[in-house]
Amino acid sequence: MAIINDFEYHKPKDIYETLLLLSELNGKAKILAGGTDLIVNLKEEIVKTENVIDIKGITELNKIELSEDNIFIGAGVTFTDIIESQKLKEKLPILWKASMTVASVGIRNRATLVGNICSAVPSLDSAPALLIYDSEILVQSKTGKRTISIHDWFTGPKKTILTPDELVLGIKIPIFQHAGVYEKLGRYKGEDLAQAGIGIFVDTNRNYRFAYCAVGPIPKRMEKLEEFLRGKEISDKLLEEAAELIPSEISPISDIRSSKEYRIHMMKIMFKRGLQKSVAILKGGRS
Amino acid sequence: MNDLKYVGKPSVRIDGKEKISGATKYTDDLEFGPNLHFAAIVESTEAHAKIINIDTIEAENFPGVVGVFTGKDFPFKFGLYMKDRFIFAMDTVHYVGQQIAAVVARDIKTAKRAAKLVKIKYETIHAIFDQMEALKDDALLIHPDLGEYEHVPWFFPQANTNIAHWRKTRRGDITKGFEDADYILEDTYTVPRYAHCPLETHAAVGLCDLSDRLTIWASSQSPHTQRNLFAESLAPLGFTHKDVRVIAPPIGGGFGGKAGVSMEILAAAIATKVKGNPVKIIWSREQEFYNTSQRLGVIAKLKIGVKNDGTFTAINHRLYWDTGASAEYGANVVNAVGLSAIGPYRFHNISIDSVCLYTNLPPCGAYRGFGYSEFMFGLESHINRIAEHLNIDAVEIRKINAIKENDILAYGVEMNPNGLLECIDKVAKEIEWGKEEKSDDPNIKIGKGFSLIWKAPAMPPNASSAAFLKFSEDGSINILVSGMDMGQGYLTVMAQIAAEILAVPISKIRTENPDTDRNPYEWQTVASHVTWSCGNAVRKAAIDARDQIFEIVSRTLYLPKNMLYLEDEKVKCKTKPRFELPLKEFVINGIQAEDSTFKGGPIMGHGIFMPEFTSANSDPETSQGGHPNVHYTVGAAAITLEVDKDSGEMHVKKAVEALDVGKAINPSLVKGQITGGLLQGLATVLYEDMRFDDKGKMLNPNFTDYKIPTAKDVPDEIVPIIVEVPQPDGPFGARGVGEHTMIPAAPMIANAVNDALGIRIKSMPITKEKVALANLKKEEK
Repeated sequence: MAIINDFEYHKPKDIYETLLLLSELNGKAKILAGGTDLIVNLKEEIVKTENVIDIKGITELNKIELSEDNIFIGAGVTFTDIIESQKLKEKLPILWKASMTVASVGIRNRATLVGNICSAVPSLDSAPALLIYDSEILVQSKTGKRTISIHDWFTGPKKTILTPDELVLGIKIPIFQHAGVYEKLGRYKGEDLAQAGIGIFVDTNRNYRFAYCAVGPIPKRMEKLEEFLRGKEISDKLLEEAAELIPSEISPISDIRSSKEYRIHMMKIMFKRGLQKSVAILKGGRS
Repeated sequence: MNDLKYVGKPSVRIDGKEKISGATKYTDDLEFGPNLHFAAIVESTEAHAKIINIDTIEAENFPGVVGVFTGKDFPFKFGLYMKDRFIFAMDTVHYVGQQIAAVVARDIKTAKRAAKLVKIKYETIHAIFDQMEALKDDALLIHPDLGEYEHVPWFFPQANTNIAHWRKTRRGDITKGFEDADYILEDTYTVPRYAHCPLETHAAVGLCDLSDRLTIWASSQSPHTQRNLFAESLAPLGFTHKDVRVIAPPIGGGFGGKAGVSMEILAAAIATKVKGNPVKIIWSREQEFYNTSQRLGVIAKLKIGVKNDGTFTAINHRLYWDTGASAEYGANVVNAVGLSAIGPYRFHNISIDSVCLYTNLPPCGAYRGFGYSEFMFGLESHINRIAEHLNIDAVEIRKINAIKENDILAYGVEMNPNGLLECIDKVAKEIEWGKEEKSDDPNIKIGKGFSLIWKAPAMPPNASSAAFLKFSEDGSINILVSGMDMGQGYLTVMAQIAAEILAVPISKIRTENPDTDRNPYEWQTVASHVTWSCGNAVRKAAIDARDQIFEIVSRTLYLPKNMLYLEDEKVKCKTKPRFELPLKEFVINGIQAEDSTFKGGPIMGHGIFMPEFTSANSDPETSQGGHPNVHYTVGAAAITLEVDKDSGEMHVKKAVEALDVGKAINPSLVKGQITGGLLQGLATVLYEDMRFDDKGKMLNPNFTDYKIPTAKDVPDEIVPIIVEVPQPDGPFGARGVGEHTMIPAAPMIANAVNDALGIRIKSMPITKEKVALANLKKEEK
């Protein structure tokens, strides 16, 4: 299927040239990285733009950098890159597991983590992990760099705090000792958008962190749940009590993918099962 | 027939290498040169409306546009069994997505941009989306002229209603049948619409040259039927059948959706307005969903009476079908079910009403299973519930009532030879029926589900097949037939049949997809009938060629004809063991006689097949007196299903399916059909789910939200079982199997879910959400 609307195609060599272009084009441009959202949206005329800036040629954006207390994932890093990194599997298990659930192999070979948060659809699989890890997004414009907390990033469905002249350079993720999972509800075993998703984090100090996607207009941490469980030993009774807090933390809708009722029900189920799994992993079970 | 060399063997598909190497050229891959034009279609945004005005001026003036065409250019009706469609909407639109105009340009971008400039003014009319509303006495008429439509004699449209066809079947004494029952169960089952989702969307290219030769390349299951409908529909423009040619390149799946004519008529019609230039129309994935055909939805009201010993006494089956805006194909699905909605069971007292209703949703038509998957969902669910009530095993009650050879069918004809009981027993054994299974995971409950399979081809009584078979100098063969290979392996099977009779290896036989100028007639590749019907034609063509071979050998070499036989590409003689004459030495150039002249010439076989015993004429009030179906293929299937009681997630651990195919000409292709069909059926019951908004617009015409199975969704284990009780009139005893493979999937899931959780779901699809919420409700009680 052809893209019927014309646009100018730019392929800058480096970050600086990209920033100049973004400034010059004054908001009338879209960044092309993996293209798995943008190209589809252009074909279906959901997005119309006068300019497309292809950043795939900027190799400095393709880096995964590991330091003692954090990991930096560049804007060109694909989900397959993440999945193939043994370090990320060890250090960021929730993100790694979420990456495994994104679409299909072919899409993951192209789609980038940064592209995922820039598209900012409510169902994005990577958000719960990034929220749990208190990640920071590094962005740059012609006038300078700034760091944005993931907690401030999402401003609405498909909306972020990024300004049109800014380019995301990558995401900085602090490293914590922990175990965790990402639980996702889909309609079948094949690739699907999350109808509900929850990231779950536990550590040896009985700190618990939770974040959801697809059951609210933007992905969010579940603070009431975290507060309720803090310091407590997980038991079946406690899980049941905690699960009852979930409806007050989320605001799912009914749509053609799922009903509100089923989303709430499954968030409880995924919370209980996911937390049990995470505790088992922490205690040395299989990961 | 014990020493068959090619038939019954798992030959590799003859088109396999070209398909997997990417060499195959589909319609969109063909080159048409620099004059190729493209058409973009302007579609209705209304489900039911009068067209007040179509303003095409801006589009016509758009640079690069060659022409804009609307209904007034082609005020012609078309339709396979009932002429109830126009090429473009005329004064009324009947569904969202219906074609109103076409914009033709030299490139697709220009055509699409200009198509946006066509302005249509509508006057909205109340739209009907529910067949039960369409059935009401005071319902608004969707086709007010229904009484005047041309249709086949076996349809009974009711003028001044929305009933496009009503098939009534009556046999025995239904009142007494229910009086004799110890238990009667009555309930309603609902099956929604489904989409075919072939990998290759519909595509057609039309070219009308300056001498009025009209050629259409189409991704098609029905090249000759399309040719016939194009010629009929465009006759007012002066075309006759001899002028029309359909070339059908290999197709990327059909599943019934490429049978008959849908969008291809646009390529044929538009080509006549841009003479000398080919014009291409390719459906987008969205159009593939909403403007080809869909599977009909049905609301089935079923009542069965039964004795305490499990013997059925009566069946009353009333089925209300949603055929959408057109019934030209859909009404024949309704007809087929109206004749067969007893399932593979012995009933003496029968009442079936199968009612085809117009609605303002997209037109419906053929879809693998042709209505049988739909009614079998209710019937096979119902039988389990009856068995449960009577405390009889679900397999046992099926065996008690299973139809046997010579039992009388609903329309009064005897049942053909079949191995239904053998299928049931083999499936029950393989699935370890009766053995309870438990999971280590307390959330997982395991259930088993069983279903029978049954279907007859739905064909006009004079549907026929034809074949030509030509030898070449090296003794190789070209078989010319007009069926379509759409994944089932038809071309390979035709080659196997000819190979067997002519003792020529399959590697020396070429069979290709048809060109109606070159290849002889075939009705359509539908109804799971080409192996049987066209197989018979090829068999006859091969026998014809063999007769010619024996004739010339006998005439020139003075050998007794009845002592001649073929082996290893040679003619041999039973009474002269040392005689052998290679075919390649004479099949083109003849045999040199003693006087040095040559006798004979090119060997060319031809064969035709028409089931001369069928008739569609019967009493409209009872359906007695005719012989509408050629035979039924039957079988049985079962699954072991894991159900997560909380999430509702279902996982098929094992699936077993046995079919009596008469003779598996190629067992590996039969097994392929079983795997593919089961998976397609499981998808329709587990997650495929078509949604429309309250204005009749389809909400999920894409694979983001209309899910079809991936490799991950295949059951852990599929055991295909082939049973062979020969079909007396089939080639080597074969009968059809393609559609049947998906029919048991939905009721098996329904029955397995019930077995696992004690929940009976009576509407499809049975999604994990539906199961989880039903279980939640049950646990709350």
